[in-house]
Amino acid sequence: MSLRRSSAILRHEMRVMLTDPSTVIFVILMPLLMVALMKQLFANTLAQEGFTGTNGSEFAVPGMAVSFAAFSVGYAGFSFFRDHGWGTWDRLRASPATSADLMVGKVLPTVGVSVVQLGVLFLLGGPLFGLTITGSVAGVVLLIIVLALALSAFGMLVTAMARTMNQLNAIGSVGGMAMSMVGGSFVPVSAMPGWAQAVAPAMPTYWAMKGFRSLILEHGGLADVLGPVLVLAGFGVVFTGLAAWRFRFEETKVYWG
Amino acid sequence: MCPTRRAATSPDRPSAAHSERVLHISGLRKAYGGVDALRGVDLDIAAGEVAALLGPNGAGKTTLISIVSGLRRADAGVVEVDGLDALARTADVRSRIGLAAQDTGVYPVVSVRHNLMLFGELAGLNRGSLRIRIDDVAEALDITDLLDRKAGSLSGGQKRRVHTAIALLHRPRLLLLDEATTGADVETRARILDLVRHTAAEGSAVLYSTHYLAEVESLGSGVVILDRGQVIADGDVHELVGAHAMPVVELTFNGEIPARLREGGVTEDGRRLRIPTGNPAATLVELLPQVPGGALASVEIVHPSLEAVYLALTGRRYDEADSEGSTEESHVTST
Repeated sequence: MSLRRSSAILRHEMRVMLTDPSTVIFVILMPLLMVALMKQLFANTLAQEGFTGTNGSEFAVPGMAVSFAAFSVGYAGFSFFRDHGWGTWDRLRASPATSADLMVGKVLPTVGVSVVQLGVLFLLGGPLFGLTITGSVAGVVLLIIVLALALSAFGMLVTAMARTMNQLNAIGSVGGMAMSMVGGSFVPVSAMPGWAQAVAPAMPTYWAMKGFRSLILEHGGLADVLGPVLVLAGFGVVFTGLAAWRFRFEETKVYWG
Repeated sequence: MCPTRRAATSPDRPSAAHSERVLHISGLRKAYGGVDALRGVDLDIAAGEVAALLGPNGAGKTTLISIVSGLRRADAGVVEVDGLDALARTADVRSRIGLAAQDTGVYPVVSVRHNLMLFGELAGLNRGSLRIRIDDVAEALDITDLLDRKAGSLSGGQKRRVHTAIALLHRPRLLLLDEATTGADVETRARILDLVRHTAAEGSAVLYSTHYLAEVESLGSGVVILDRGQVIADGDVHELVGAHAMPVVELTFNGEIPARLREGGVTEDGRRLRIPTGNPAATLVELLPQVPGGALASVEIVHPSLEAVYLALTGRRYDEADSEGSTEESHVTST
């Protein structure tokens, strides 16, 4: 892998992304709106769990941040399909850029978008919704980065599996929804049926929420989120490995249809 | 000046060209689902040489170029660029190749300059030399005024020039142009042909796929005729025409070909009768009185040209309907 070539692709992808920032803006604004709508609902849930002095943002902010990051997993694959549509994919493949250069250059911007999406919610969570982080802020940052990496790796796996843009959207949406709903970021695990509670730890979002819960509500430090961070990193490694195994660089992907 | 191309099997092939050869292909085979696309292609191109790869749609041109550029895998055979195994698809080999594929590939939402910058950087050019090269290729293809416009706002011909410019940025040892002028306007076509000559003059080897016979004749380059996955001719265009092509009188009949005309060294293709002749006018004067009234649909004289070479080698006319574009073979048609 060449740092120079992957960096050239990365900078190019950022430039392309900034020509139409509406998607990025949408994935940042939408969860803010959802937090405002659902905060009170979660205030009641937290009170039932015995947390006092909470206003619901302690679940709503990380929950909506994680949920919308999960909903956006298909975004990681968009730049691949787009290149097939523009005829630039073969051009990239014929260049000296290796498969690893292409992967890194194209995926890191989506990791960046995910980090910004998650980060903005936590940054605005205090002033807009009265969120207080009782534990380690560094832990929050670490968790955000590892989660963004794991979800982007899942996005790559979805991209590797999909041959058409419609498949990417379908698999990405179903995968994202499943992660969000079953993983306990949209609805607290405590409010889910027993079978769903049993399945929840199979989702990366479950571990992200477990970590955020510790950091926001339980005065957790870096050591307290080590478990969730390692599990999320493990998800990232497994997803990346499966994506690398499944990805066919010579496969023609269909932009529309 | 381009060195003279010789047939791959010619014993008098210049040894200098061999020692400077940039592209070497031997026994290249590729099939798609049991259908042979390439059936043992052999081809060498030396530094400074233009080889026009000619053949109708489906002949295997794009498959050949795709394999050389690393976009497709070969089933068997050898492909070397500067003596390096091109089938291994290493970055080292790919940095020696410039490809402008058949379909235009540019990023429409960013400027022409940013398109060129991306692929220049991927090819390993540093910022300083990249800036100079962008100016050079932009001037050569007359796109200097377009550099800061979004690629998506350009006309088809302008996009085609940007697409070609990307392939040239890093001064590739081997330039692969696949149907570079298909759908291009007259000016774009002229620019690209000039560029092909210039690139070869600077020492690159150029493999230029086309199905426009007239382009190859105007380039005056070496020509490799690919037909149904096999190289059926490989040599200098003028030598090939001289060696294979005799003027042909072609008579097309409304019904069956009269029996008395079927004698001698004629060939038949359905209702068409072809008579190779050194003197088409004399042949017509001799033949026409023998044709019953109303039997003749058309008369055509195919003068010595690549069209005639193709006809001589394959027994078929080069399919102009397939070629989409205008050609300039010397035809005289009368009904």
